[in-house]
Amino acid sequence: MLLNLNRMGPGRYVLYAIGVLTALFLLLPVVFIAALSFGSSQWLQFPPPGWTLKWYAAIFNDPRWMDSIWTSVKVAFTVMVLSIVLGLPAAFALVRGKFPGRTVLHAFFISPMIVPVIILAIALYAFVLKFGLNGTFIAFVAAHLIIALPFSVICIVNSLEGFDESTEKAAIVCGATKAEAIFRVTLPAIRLGIFSAALFSFLASWDEVVLGIFMASPILQTLPVKMWTTLRQDLTPVIASVSTLLIALTIVIMIITAFLRRRYAR
Amino acid sequence: MFEAISNNPYRSLRAPRVDLRRLRPALPALIFLFVFMVVPLSSLLLLSVTKPEIGLGNYISLLGDATYGRVLLNTFTIAAIVTLVTLIIAYPVAWLLAILPSRVSQIFFAIILLSMWTNLLARTYGWMVLLQRTGVINRMLMEIGLIHQPLPLINNLVGVTIGMTYIMLPYVILPLHATISGIDPAIMQAAAITGAKPRQIFWHVMLPLSLPGIGAGCMMVFVMALGYYVTPALLGGTANMMLAEMIAQQVQSLLNWGLGSAAAFILLAVTLIFYAIYVRAIGLGRVR
Repeated sequence: MLLNLNRMGPGRYVLYAIGVLTALFLLLPVVFIAALSFGSSQWLQFPPPGWTLKWYAAIFNDPRWMDSIWTSVKVAFTVMVLSIVLGLPAAFALVRGKFPGRTVLHAFFISPMIVPVIILAIALYAFVLKFGLNGTFIAFVAAHLIIALPFSVICIVNSLEGFDESTEKAAIVCGATKAEAIFRVTLPAIRLGIFSAALFSFLASWDEVVLGIFMASPILQTLPVKMWTTLRQDLTPVIASVSTLLIALTIVIMIITAFLRRRYAR
Repeated sequence: MFEAISNNPYRSLRAPRVDLRRLRPALPALIFLFVFMVVPLSSLLLLSVTKPEIGLGNYISLLGDATYGRVLLNTFTIAAIVTLVTLIIAYPVAWLLAILPSRVSQIFFAIILLSMWTNLLARTYGWMVLLQRTGVINRMLMEIGLIHQPLPLINNLVGVTIGMTYIMLPYVILPLHATISGIDPAIMQAAAITGAKPRQIFWHVMLPLSLPGIGAGCMMVFVMALGYYVTPALLGGTANMMLAEMIAQQVQSLLNWGLGSAAAFILLAVTLIFYAIYVRAIGLGRVR
């Protein structure tokens, strides 16, 4: 009766109220930023005295913002590709390998998720300073790849565990080489897992702030780093417009994944 | 990358034995993590006991000094408050989501995902603007006459709690929802038939049965909150600095690598201890 709405009595209205308030709480900053980004007030007055697109123009006319966006895109794409290149074979080893310490290895691959990112950040900071790599593309990619790799391993391991290896063996018995069997039977079968691995790796890199702060130089910055340094100075409405673009991107990605999930749902 | 197992196509058909060669595909990832994670972390550990001089001086001053002790205390207090507030909000929401018709709960899940996937800085910026002295929340409260002076909602404990609770909510709602949905309604019916009042059923049946979800969610939030940097740095004040912020400050502005790295390893040790408790209680298989 506590798990049935109709028989729960007046208590359910309390639940409804908390539910609605929490939904509003979760939506509040997202909707607020979006509204603010079109407001004309430099001082973030709300409701805005007028409406404008000038904060969006400010991003597109400022080469520093555009450079940081471009850097973020390049870093995230490289991380996404490398995360699959390293994560896919690692997942095969984890799922199919019969060697001692397999669970330890699994835990090791996931460990970057557990270590607080600030610790990874300063450790890498000392490391890249020593080799003069600070502010380089390589430093960003290496740092972001560390935190992207667990997502890749988890997604691919999950889908590989759901794939029956005997299908692949059947292909080999029928005359396919091992490579053919993997590329034409196994990989297509786990493509949804690889796709989610790529998506989460991209997003992990795209959204990463803390590692970026320590890898960046005034010349090379990712978008979150540029937002961070700007935020520490003042709360300009330009950040609202950048944030709104990012929210729009999130919604697009959510729609694509929902669509794919429905299409591939078994 | 699969040449090790492709030499003989029939090899893999035999009964699998302990075979180290199957580890080979994992090597690139292993080497990468070794070079870019294990080596840097080890050299950081070395820094913590060698700078400025060899010994445990950094750890002793961190654990002995009142200023640093305060930071440690703040870190635990804030993490505990955030965990508690998050749980209190998340439980009824997860409960509601478990009993709502799926058409309605689907909308709620979309809202949760939207908030969870929105860029962290964008969300934090939103709260900075909302909570500031001249922000909408203060202005609204003043207009309806609840307050006459703007409340200090930012650069203090209130700001950190609101900002971090906002970020952590999905991490408790989702596992709790899974646990509560998994409770067999027949158990509660049985309690009702044998004469238990709804209040008793909640405290003696439903709440104990949802403990695994509560534990998983709370532990996750607590551990995440301990090491959080961005939100406390932007919404908190200097009076309630947390450990992660202190580490960054020691390394970045004060170039005090020894103390900064020692603080990092205290944070890491605490994180790992709580994580070990979490794994012991829930089992590694169910982590993520």
